[in-house]
Amino acid sequence: MQETGCYDGVTELTLRRQDTLKFETLHTKLRSFCVSAREMARRISASPGVREVGEMVVAIYTPEGDAVALSNGIMVHVHTMSRFIKWMIRQDYETNPGIHEGDIFANNDAFIGTVQVPDVMDVVPIFYERQLIGWAGAVCHELESGGITPGGDVCLAQERYTEGLFVCAEKVGENDELRRDYVIRCERNLRMPIYWVLDEKAKVASCIEMRENVKSIVAEVGLDYWRHVIKEFIEEGRRNQLARTRQLTVPGKYRGHSFYGHVTEGKPGFQPLSDPNWLYNIPIEMEISIDGKITLDFEGTQPWGYHSMNCTPAGMDGGMFVTLTQHMNFEGLVNDGAWMATELKLPKGTWTNPDNETVATATSWALLLPAFGVFQRLLSRGFLARGYVEEVFVGQVNSPMIEMGGESQYGTSFGMAHFECAAAGSGALAIKDGLDTAYVGWNPESDMGNIEVWEQNMPMLYLGRSILPNSGGAGKYRGGCSFVSTWLISKTKHLRLVTSEHSSRVFDNAGMCGGYPAPTCQMHRAVRNTNVKELVRKQKPLPHSIGTDPNISELERLVTGVHETSEGPYITAPHRDGDIFTHSYNGGGGFGDVLERDPVRTALDVENGFITEEAAKQVYGIVLKKGKNGDLKADLEATARVRKNMRAKRLKRACPVVDWLKSERKRVAAGDFTPEVCKMYASAMRLSQRFATDFRSFWKLDVAFTMPGGERS
Amino acid sequence: MTSYSKDVIRDLVEARLPWRQTKQIMSAYKDEDRFFKYIEVVQERVPWKERILLPLSNRLFIVQSGKRRVTKCECGHDYGDYRKNWKLSALILVRNSRKLLREIYPNNDIPNPEWMELREFICPSCGVLHEVEACAPGYPILHEFEPDLDQFYRDWLKKPLSAG
Repeated sequence: MQETGCYDGVTELTLRRQDTLKFETLHTKLRSFCVSAREMARRISASPGVREVGEMVVAIYTPEGDAVALSNGIMVHVHTMSRFIKWMIRQDYETNPGIHEGDIFANNDAFIGTVQVPDVMDVVPIFYERQLIGWAGAVCHELESGGITPGGDVCLAQERYTEGLFVCAEKVGENDELRRDYVIRCERNLRMPIYWVLDEKAKVASCIEMRENVKSIVAEVGLDYWRHVIKEFIEEGRRNQLARTRQLTVPGKYRGHSFYGHVTEGKPGFQPLSDPNWLYNIPIEMEISIDGKITLDFEGTQPWGYHSMNCTPAGMDGGMFVTLTQHMNFEGLVNDGAWMATELKLPKGTWTNPDNETVATATSWALLLPAFGVFQRLLSRGFLARGYVEEVFVGQVNSPMIEMGGESQYGTSFGMAHFECAAAGSGALAIKDGLDTAYVGWNPESDMGNIEVWEQNMPMLYLGRSILPNSGGAGKYRGGCSFVSTWLISKTKHLRLVTSEHSSRVFDNAGMCGGYPAPTCQMHRAVRNTNVKELVRKQKPLPHSIGTDPNISELERLVTGVHETSEGPYITAPHRDGDIFTHSYNGGGGFGDVLERDPVRTALDVENGFITEEAAKQVYGIVLKKGKNGDLKADLEATARVRKNMRAKRLKRACPVVDWLKSERKRVAAGDFTPEVCKMYASAMRLSQRFATDFRSFWKLDVAFTMPGGERS
Repeated sequence: MTSYSKDVIRDLVEARLPWRQTKQIMSAYKDEDRFFKYIEVVQERVPWKERILLPLSNRLFIVQSGKRRVTKCECGHDYGDYRKNWKLSALILVRNSRKLLREIYPNNDIPNPEWMELREFICPSCGVLHEVEACAPGYPILHEFEPDLDQFYRDWLKKPLSAG
């Protein structure tokens, strides 16, 4: 690659030129092997995450570990598995423990190649005539990984030693069978081993199916053809990605940022290893070069920390791959070639590339998702400039997750991650509203799963699963709305509920072209020792949602008991039968000026519960009137008058940026910010000379200026 | 090769195209001749004659104004040299209190204004809201996009621009 600029020195797509039909047919067949192997495996799994939500992906690799073809699903892991295979090669696994036909290798160590501890991957070598000709690999997201808190995204982990069961590039099976001692280890170290163990069997089955299909194809086309064609597939993927970037975007520099608030002060369980509260800035500069290469630079972001949100380069690769494939490689024949047409600059010592392999990464999505939401907006800026308005997408947001464990409704020990978060609201498009309850960035299939299936797997019953009004960012086109679930805890004396990937005090997303960010710092609301059973007996109304009054929730209005409202990660004493718990998911950011939103469409939104009447008037300037049948109608003339006044008020309240900069500069120079904000600047300036220089230059500060605070880390 | 009429592109940009047709355009191979049709469509929409070189957003454009290349609002407001961050010549409204944030988020939990503020960048002439930044107080204003205009026209579009 270094000498020719092409994958493995493949400068000509000779086989493609000689017989294009044969070439394309083979590529499509490999893709179909992957898709069908994944579907088969989902039927073996016991996990609702895999069966219902599709938290799985499979792929076929070259002997060197580069992805040739992949299924749909959580495509994040196509390149993380690649890192896993390459790691084993570098560690000379060929000598010890040996790589033989029928071997099964597993890994969930993010520093070897995955994103987080619940992402457990299995790969099997493919031999033909006693030669290694490739690998088949599969990943499932496990719903329980045996960490300090139950579930897979182990929120409370502050070092790797509390993240749960690690399998570090281990040979876990031989002769196509999982080793009994490995299964015993899983059974004795996990709260709910049935998920992990049956997922292992599902993955092995899919790998064997892909392996046998590949062998039959090689028998058909010949070994020489196979060896060469898989390289051409990847080189073609690389060229296609470069061409697609040149087709859809504009060369130049693009910049964006996002933020994330991590607040653990006073929460039980967190060890005092560092400051309890952190504000993360995630600046990204994207450069599109004239040959079409995309480079993302994370210079200026925060250091790694004693929490579970750190990310390894493998995880960053995963974020890049799943985002890129959704937005630029929609025809399906995508592989590692696309990834090779990109570059990530991950400053050492930051959360994107920790210089310490003992850090925890169990909830790395908390920072990954806002980061790659920025990437989506940067790409979209290019699509918009180029005229491909239908591809413009304001981007993904975090999808707060609930993990749980304790005593199940059957009286047994259990643990589970609730994956209904896989269907949040999407960012808006440049020509329409975002998708409501139908999108997350990390699983492009995005499915929340059926209520009844979740209820079979946890001691909680749904009181409601409701659209959360105004949860999409406001704009000419609003972000997609998310939902809120309200549960009655049932038939358990001990239920631990933990949440993660939930920003405190700051929005972790943005709008575009005048659209506002989605409101993504919702509180958790719960009630203990409720009178719910009495309400049921007396046939009184029950809460089905939190409602739309930020000062008093439906829970407070309808239920008596001990009411709790808390921010950020939900870590508290166990719940029990009769308690109520609610959890809100995130909508996406808006696009365009709110005063240009269609009043007629907004009337429908109000009728259907996506926007409140209050927001329609106050945010959008839309006057609605009740029709004869009680339906809502937009008063276009009154709306035009209100909007004219709102625009005039906007101009009156605003001031020139140059004036604002003068007064704001004094505040910056004095470091007149809350301690977490000061610490964010101090950390970023200490880690990045460029950030420090740019910051001082923007605010016209002395070259020796430093922000007070941030002494601890 | 895929290609659409200017009328279709106009309807697409103005969000008037039926969803079924929009979806087909999303799923199909992209039309290589989109850019100049798109430029014609937005050029017809604006009330001024200077040539649009590149849209920066749905209401902001880089235009050739005499010998200068400037950033211009759809209403005609001139933000100056296109290489300079247009935001520095805009108006700003900063939502940095619970009261001001509540105006936009009447029914949801809102950020702590000591940790995050919303900055609205507004056109001084027409009052359109061009961009909203959500960031920590004190964060430098973002210069979002610096296109490589000459290389884009010369190497990708094969229609070099005359010197600006």
